[in-house]
Amino acid sequence: MTGAAPLLEVTDLAVEFRTPGGVVRAVDGLTYQVEAGRTLAIVGESGSGKSVSSLAVMGLLGPTAHVTRGTARLNGTDLLALPPREHRARCGQDVAMVFQDALAALNPVLTVGFQLTEALRARHRISRGEARQRAVELLDLVKVPHARERVRDYPHQFSGGMRQRVMIACALALDPKVLIADEPTTALDVTVQAQVLRLLAEIQAERQMGLVLITHDLGVVAGVADDVTVMYAGRAVEQAGVLGAFRSPAHPYTRALLQSVPQLGSRTRLPVIPGRPPGPGDRPAGCPFHPRCALAQDVCRADPPPPLVEAAPGRWSACHFAGDVLRGAAVPAETTPEGDPR
Amino acid sequence: MGRYILRRVLQAVGTLFLVMVVLHLLTTFAIQLNGNPALAFFGEHEPSASQLAAVEKRYGLDDPCYDQVGNPCAGPFVDRLVAYAQGDFGTNLRGRAVTEIVAQSAPHTLRLFVVVTFTWLTIGMVLGSVAARWRGRPADHGIRFTTVLVDALPVFVLLLLYKFVVTVPVHQWARSEFGSESWPALWFRPSFDADHPWATVLIPGILLGVSGSAAFVRLVRASQLESYSGEHVRTARSKGLPERYVVLHHVVRNSSIPVVTAVGLVFTEALAGAVVTEGLMNINGMGGVLWGAVKGSDVSLVLGVVTLLAVVTVVVMIVVDVLYAALDPRIRYE
Repeated sequence: MTGAAPLLEVTDLAVEFRTPGGVVRAVDGLTYQVEAGRTLAIVGESGSGKSVSSLAVMGLLGPTAHVTRGTARLNGTDLLALPPREHRARCGQDVAMVFQDALAALNPVLTVGFQLTEALRARHRISRGEARQRAVELLDLVKVPHARERVRDYPHQFSGGMRQRVMIACALALDPKVLIADEPTTALDVTVQAQVLRLLAEIQAERQMGLVLITHDLGVVAGVADDVTVMYAGRAVEQAGVLGAFRSPAHPYTRALLQSVPQLGSRTRLPVIPGRPPGPGDRPAGCPFHPRCALAQDVCRADPPPPLVEAAPGRWSACHFAGDVLRGAAVPAETTPEGDPR
Repeated sequence: MGRYILRRVLQAVGTLFLVMVVLHLLTTFAIQLNGNPALAFFGEHEPSASQLAAVEKRYGLDDPCYDQVGNPCAGPFVDRLVAYAQGDFGTNLRGRAVTEIVAQSAPHTLRLFVVVTFTWLTIGMVLGSVAARWRGRPADHGIRFTTVLVDALPVFVLLLLYKFVVTVPVHQWARSEFGSESWPALWFRPSFDADHPWATVLIPGILLGVSGSAAFVRLVRASQLESYSGEHVRTARSKGLPERYVVLHHVVRNSSIPVVTAVGLVFTEALAGAVVTEGLMNINGMGGVLWGAVKGSDVSLVLGVVTLLAVVTVVVMIVVDVLYAALDPRIRYE
């Protein structure tokens, strides 16, 4: 939300799934921007629509899902308005994606060298030797040791962390301007996670890429993100710089999420958010978060939440009481004591 | 890879040995329970004791163990193995070498297999891929419905219909139109002609292939559908690769692994179908030879032919296993 022209600008994106039980809306009016050299973290629980929204941007939705509304402008061109073939071609070239589980996301029967350069070979006529050279460079870039020998190996011969590096290298093959990383470290153990994240951050800074980091790990967000978008039930509920959002959240959901992060040395019982996020098919009336919100008022149960409003400069929240929450109020000013557990 | 193949070959030799043991035990018990097959040599004629003894000796049936029910007859088995190892598969009851009979009939059967395998591989891969690519569309429904129809039509009914309804008029017409030695006339000949082994085996082979391909179409479709929803296919698409490329390199390539496994299974099925086809189309192949040998209690011929078919099957299985390893790098290193 700074002054620089955004690289990728997603506006009012909505994605619907056709299911046997009817049409459900997985993403509903999501808006975000990524600028060159900055990292946007999209945070949310499972089912909040964070992965689906990025698949929609990449044009990778399955046959049962489709975009019903919204734009995804990349340098001004709306990807979603392009014919599917052109949309596909722009992806990989300008926007690339890193997937969560590298073991499943890499083809098990092709060498990593083949997979690293197939996009390149499909676009440019390059010789075998050049392709191999490029594959070695890419593996070097993501710091896979013995790159020259390893291009001939298959994904199952790599360790989890190395495999994720290969996955990242695949995404970097065409020098994308924006990289969308969908939970890139969830399948890894903690020390390897840190290495992979550091690598991503380094490469991003070096190439001045825009990075969209989809995660449910707030520690990851704090470590690498510049901006954060918190998603709940298919909508963005808060958008802010990462420091501001972590220091003084402007939405009760963000606040509850932060409170449920375990603190080292803390001996008190870890607060959790009661209940479960609603499925896309059974969202409650009013604010979708109200059944789990400690601050819920009558208006939250009756009226849909406002669109993102700027509660303070650079601080956007979709809460009726955004200003109060931002100021740290436990209960909004005009509240009745009803419904507050504390 | 070398070690992998060696291990498979050793396993195959073991399998073959087991097949021969079972075969030996079955025939031994059949002889012990049903009486002396040497009598079959004489037909209606009642042999004298010395004639019978001479015939028994000639066919290796003189071992006393054949008169003792339950005796596994290890001695004759070892003798036979030694003879097989020296390339001697014995003779049939009329004194013709089994190897010679097989050498004459096997090419016909192999030709049939080639046509059958080629047909169902082509049909299965093409229709299965089309059905998977356009899943849920009319093409998919049409293909699936057709496979059910084909399945519901047994191969012998298909061949009978073909032979008695289609071939005669078409053959007559082609003969008068193009001459009796022309390709169309040969293709639709109602029965096999050893002078034109390929032309006359083509259409029966294709029919047998079609009837075997129904299950194969569904297998290819199912296995490709699984690939289509695979995460690695999504990755390939995210690289901006054209859909044609993704289908070829990531869907068809990956789903060919279960398909190759099925080749081995369908091959053995084709073996059974070949016996029916050969019988109906008068093809003088292994199926016909085996059928005749069983009916005529021709023990050494049955043993020889079944052993040879077992060898062929085991070799196909080895080829399948090696292909499997070539297609899936994860196999080689386990």
